Amino acid sequence: MTKPDLDAIKAEWIGTEFDHANFTIKVEDMVNWAEACGETDPRFTDPEHDDFQAHPGFTTHLVTRRVLPEEFPKIQGRGIDGGKSVEVLAPVRVGDELRASATIADIYDKTGRSGTMVFIVQRMSFVNQNDEPVSTVDWKMIRNVVDQA
Amino acid sequence: MILDLHTHSIRSDDGRAKVGNYCQWIRKKQIPLDGFVLTEHRQWDDSSDYRHLEDEYGLVILKASEVETDYGHVLVFGVNDDLVNSFDFAKIDNPLPEVLEAAERCGAFAAPCHPGRKNVGLFAHYDVKGPVEGVHTVEVLNGGSIPGEDELSVERAAEHGYRSFGGSDSHIVSRIGFCATEFEDNIGDIDDLVAALQGGRFAAVNLREPV
Repeated sequence: MTKPDLDAIKAEWIGTEFDHANFTIKVEDMVNWAEACGETDPRFTDPEHDDFQAHPGFTTHLVTRRVLPEEFPKIQGRGIDGGKSVEVLAPVRVGDELRASATIADIYDKTGRSGTMVFIVQRMSFVNQNDEPVSTVDWKMIRNVVDQA
Repeated sequence: MILDLHTHSIRSDDGRAKVGNYCQWIRKKQIPLDGFVLTEHRQWDDSSDYRHLEDEYGLVILKASEVETDYGHVLVFGVNDDLVNSFDFAKIDNPLPEVLEAAERCGAFAAPCHPGRKNVGLFAHYDVKGPVEGVHTVEVLNGGSIPGEDELSVERAAEHGYRSFGGSDSHIVSRIGFCATEFEDNIGDIDDLVAALQGGRFAAVNLREPV
């Protein structure tokens, strides 16, 4: 399998904003997410709580239409979902209008037991109606480029 | 003196352990370690300062790197500016001979880790491409090994006359100290460690609890 030219891909795509989306935060969605996570803290499960807010992981399920830019090069190999990490910058409240932008935050490769893996990190950055950053979600998408000694 | 020579913190992209939590775990579980070395993936972490944790927990905490080569992964102890400028720590296919030569030239110590791993370890590459001159020490006990890998490492290291050390390769708190290295010398800083490694006065030890 031909190894992709990551330096060229990085130079062209890192930092590129390729999609955006808007989300209205609803109380039932906030409660459903928290309960599905097994959360018991009433800040995240009880809409009557003084400090009721979305669970820290809530924004990880909000996605833009595109996962990668339209002309992003195809990297051959088995695809693996590398999971998401979230940085909470401010509470997300009922009725917030979130605006999200999607960018390619990083592209790198590493080797492991299964061979060479290319990591593509898609970042969604959320701001609320006051233009306050509330959350950043990094999603690692992995391509397992199989190679052997 | 016993040190875990191969650990990762949250500074590694796949690490989940904070260094302070490693220290707490070592003390709480009374793991017989005098310290550990952070060998972060594909980088030299020049900025992190763990001296306050050394003082608080009475442990030796040193920093090194795990780089990637065309013969598998290599631990590099004694990283300095000269070495950082000798090859690209972020690349996954650095030629092993170049890494070894650069380490020696810059006063550092480089040794392949988990060499017994199927397909990707040093000895798997040897089977295809032949041995590399300049390898003198390998990690024969690795806390992340699956059954058979350490045994292969020990056997092949002996065949080649390589010195042997151990490390946990921990990425989470609870795995630190699974394997380690026992030194004859007292080690207080990275220069002491490099000198001890170069002197060959050490042995791999398995600290895992029996199943």
